[in-house]
Amino acid sequence: MAAMDASDAVSPSPSPPRPRARIDRRRALAGALLGGLGLAALHGALAAGLLDRTPRRTGQDWASPLSDEKARVMHLLRRATFGASPEEFERAASDGFRRTVDRLLEEPPAPPPDLWSADDPDRGSRLQLARLQLWWVQHMLATPTPFAERMTLFWHGHFTSDVQKVGLQTPFLYWQNLTWRQMALTDLRSMLWKVTVDPAMLRYLDLATSSGQAPNENYARELMERFTMGVGNYTEEDVRAAARALAGWVEPRPDRYRQVVLDAGKGVQRRYGVWDRPRTGTFVPRRAYQGTLTYLGRRGRFDTEAVLDAILSHPATAVYIAGKVAEEFVSPNVEASFVRGLADTFRSSGYDVKSLMRAVFTSPEFGSDAAYRALVKSPTEFMIHVLKTVDAPHLAPLVVAAGPQMGQILFAPPDVGGWPSNAAWISSNNVLARVNFAATVVGRLSAVPPLNRLLAQVDGVLGPRTASSLDRTDDQRQRLLLLLASPEFQLK
Amino acid sequence: MGDEIGINRLRRRDFMKAGLVFGAGAAGLAAGYAAVPDAFARAVYAATTNGVSNDRILVMIQLAGGNDGLRTVIPLQDPVLHDLRPRLAAMSVGSALPLDAEVGLNQNLKGIKQLWDQGRVAIVQGVGYPNPSFSHFESIRIWETGDPSRRQVDGWLGRTLARNYDADGHPLAGCACGTAEVPGALRDLQATLTVIESQRTFGFTGGSEVEAAVGALYRNTPGIYGALFDTAMATARDAVAALQAAQAKYRPAAQYSDRQQLVYASKNQLAAALQLAAELIVTGTGVKLLHVTLGGFDTHYTELARQDDLMAYLDSAVSAFFQDLDAHGMADRVLVATWSEFGRRPRENASGGTDHGAAAPLLLIGGPVKGGLYGEAPSLTDLDATDNLKYTVDFRSVYQEILGPYLGADPKEILGGTFERLGFIRDPVATF
Repeated sequence: MAAMDASDAVSPSPSPPRPRARIDRRRALAGALLGGLGLAALHGALAAGLLDRTPRRTGQDWASPLSDEKARVMHLLRRATFGASPEEFERAASDGFRRTVDRLLEEPPAPPPDLWSADDPDRGSRLQLARLQLWWVQHMLATPTPFAERMTLFWHGHFTSDVQKVGLQTPFLYWQNLTWRQMALTDLRSMLWKVTVDPAMLRYLDLATSSGQAPNENYARELMERFTMGVGNYTEEDVRAAARALAGWVEPRPDRYRQVVLDAGKGVQRRYGVWDRPRTGTFVPRRAYQGTLTYLGRRGRFDTEAVLDAILSHPATAVYIAGKVAEEFVSPNVEASFVRGLADTFRSSGYDVKSLMRAVFTSPEFGSDAAYRALVKSPTEFMIHVLKTVDAPHLAPLVVAAGPQMGQILFAPPDVGGWPSNAAWISSNNVLARVNFAATVVGRLSAVPPLNRLLAQVDGVLGPRTASSLDRTDDQRQRLLLLLASPEFQLK
Repeated sequence: MGDEIGINRLRRRDFMKAGLVFGAGAAGLAAGYAAVPDAFARAVYAATTNGVSNDRILVMIQLAGGNDGLRTVIPLQDPVLHDLRPRLAAMSVGSALPLDAEVGLNQNLKGIKQLWDQGRVAIVQGVGYPNPSFSHFESIRIWETGDPSRRQVDGWLGRTLARNYDADGHPLAGCACGTAEVPGALRDLQATLTVIESQRTFGFTGGSEVEAAVGALYRNTPGIYGALFDTAMATARDAVAALQAAQAKYRPAAQYSDRQQLVYASKNQLAAALQLAAELIVTGTGVKLLHVTLGGFDTHYTELARQDDLMAYLDSAVSAFFQDLDAHGMADRVLVATWSEFGRRPRENASGGTDHGAAAPLLLIGGPVKGGLYGEAPSLTDLDATDNLKYTVDFRSVYQEILGPYLGADPKEILGGTFERLGFIRDPVATF
C-alpha cells in the first residue's frame, strides 16, 4: 500500500486543471497482468493516461487477479470478514495469505461491550430492537476479530431465531447473540447442544412448550431440515420421534421481577423479568417422554444428547453443513466432489469448525478464477464494507436504518431458513437501496479517501463502464459514490 | 439498441453463453429449497411471440408459514373437530360466520364475508397435492413452481409472464410489493420483474444526477451476475419513473392501516403492499401479475390469538383494497387469490397450536369470480398416514382456472398438464 500513497497524481486539486486520470480498461480486465504487477501497477496504468475505447461484448467474465498474493488476501478478507479497512488490509498483506488465514482462525472471538450500562434500568431485562441492532453493527465495525463476527452472522442466518416470535420482553435474543459468537468457531456437537437449550431458540421453535405427551414438532423438524441434515434424509416418523425425545425443556425463570410504568398518564404498568446473568433452558423430567422410540433407524430410549448423537452419526449432516459453507464462502456452483471433501474433513476432525473453514480458505477452489467475484455481498456485508472503506464507524445507525430496504433486518430473518444469498440479493429494489445507501454515506462524509485506496478494495479490477465513468469525473466525492455503488463493490 | 433507455435485451441463450446456468453441485447436495439455483431469481427483458392482451389483473396473496384451513373455513357440524382440537374448536365454531349449514368463515373475516354475500368470493376446499411435503421450503417451492415433482425451477407466474406478457419488457407487468426480493412464484430468467419494498424509499437519493451517473455503471457488466445487475438497475430506473407518475395520479379511496403488533419494520406490511398494488392498478401502469405476502402463519403455539389477529389483518387489508378498487371502478378486473404452503394438522399440540399439515382451502376474491364453494371439504375421520387431511382438489386445478379462463394464457403450456376444471371464473376467456 505504501507504494500507492503517491496517489496525488490521480486525485486532482481544484486548480489548475490537469489531465484526468485514465483507467486502462484492458489492463483493468486483464487480471493476470494486473495480478502479476500487483496493485501498484494500477496506479501506473492510471497515470499513464490510457483509455481503451473498443466496445466489448457482454458476457465477459471478470479477470481474476488471484494469482497475486495481495489480491488473494483481499479476496479472503472480503469473504471471511466484512471487508477490510486500509489498515487491516495493509497488515494482512504484509502477513501474507497463509498467516492471515491462521490469524483469523486462531484468534478467539473478541466479546462485544456489555449492551447495558451499569445503571441502565433495563439491565438484564427487556430489549430495544434498534439498540440491539446498533450494538451488533458497531461491534462488526470495531471488533479486532472480524472473522468470528462474520461467522456469528453466518450462524445467525443458519441457527435462526427472530424477534417477532422471541419478543423483546426478555434478554433472550441478546444472550443468543453472545452464545452464537462464543461458539462460532467451536465444534458442531457442542454447538447443537447450545442451540437446543438456548432460551430464544426454545421459544422460537417451540421446544419450550412441547411435551412428551403432546409433542410440538417444530424444533425437531427444523433441527434436521435446516440446521443439520437437509430435507430427504429422514422420515416423518423421525420428526415425530425426535419431537418426543427432545421434549422436556422449558425457558429459564427470571431471578426477580420489576414493575415498569409504560404510560404514567393511563396508568399502564407491566411486570418484567430480570436475569442477573444469561441462562440456558431448564430440563423438567416429568415433561419428557419416557418410552422407547425408533429414530434414524435405531430403536431405544432417546434423550436430547442421544438425538444429537444420532444426527452427528448421520452422513448427511457433514455434507449439508459443508455444502452451505461452500456456497456461502466459495461459490454458488461448486463441484459436489469439493463439498464431499470438505464434509470428510469436517467429520473426521470431530466436526471442528476451524478445520472446516481452514479447508475452505486454503482450497484451490477458494482461490480459483471461477470463485473470483462469484459471491454477492449480503446487505449487511455491503454496508459494513462501505463504512470500513471510508472509515466512518459513526455512521453505524445508517446500517440499522437501511437494512429493511435491502431485505436484511438483523434479528429478524425472513423465516427459519435464514436469508437468501447471492443472486437473490439482486433485485430492482435492492440495487436501488444499495445505491441510496452509498449516496447517503458519501453525503455525510467530511473527507473523502483518495481513489487508489478505494480501488484497492476492488483489486483494481474494473468493468469497462465503471472504469470509464470514474475516468470521466475529477470530483472525488462523485468517484467515491460511483465506486461504492458499482457492481464491482457489490461482489466478493 | 435500448442503450438510451437503459435496457439490455437478453435472451436465455445469452445467459448460457455467459455461463449463468448453475449446476447441481453443492446445491444439489445441500438439498432443500435453498438449493434452487438462485440465479433464476433474476429477470431480463425478453421478446415473446404469443402475447396475451386483455385488461385482467391477478393479485396473489401468500399466507406464509402454513395457514390453518380448519380455522379459516370452519366445519360447523363435525363433532370430530372438537375431539381433535378441543381448545381451538371451542373458540372457533360458535363464533364462525356461517356460509351455509356446514361451514363458516373465521369470525374475523367480516369484510370478506360481506364480499361473499355480494357473490364475489369463491372458496376452493381441500386444496393440496400428492405426497405432501411438510417442509415449509419444499412445499413453498412446489406451490411456487406449480410442480410437485420438484423438477421445475421457474415460478408458475414467472413462466406466465415470460411467455405472455413480456413482449415490450414492461417493468411493471410483474411486480412484487412489500418485499425486497423476487418471490419464487415470479421467478423466471426471462421475465421482467419489479420488486418494490416500500413506495416511500423507491427512488434515487440524490435525484436524477445520481441516477444517471450510477445507472451508467450498470451496462455490460461482466461476470455471472452481470446481466442480472444490469437488468435490475434498468428495471429499477424504469419503475421509479412509472411509480412517480402513478403516485401523482393516485388518490386512495379507502383507509389502509398496517397492524403494528404484527409488523416488524418491513415485514408484513400487507396493507401498505395492497395499497401500492391498488395504486399501480388504478393509475393504469400496465401491471398484470402482482404478488404480496403476509407472514406469521406458522402457528405451532398459542394459535388462537395469533391466527385470529392475522385473519383480522388480512380481512381489513383486503377489504380496503376492494373498497379502493370499487371506488375507482376497477374491481371487476382484479382477481385476488390466497395461497399457503400447507394447512395445519387437524389435531392440536401441547402448545395450543398445530403442526404442519396438508390440504387447506383457498380464497378467490373479486368481481371476476362466480361466488360459492368449490371442491370437497376433506374428511376429519379419513386422515392420511401422517394424520393429515387428504386433498380433494389439486392446487394446479386452481392455477389452471386462473391461467386459462381468467388470464387467457395457455395453462397446459405453463403447468405441463391438464387438471380438473373448477369453473369459478364468471366470464371465462372464450378459448378456455
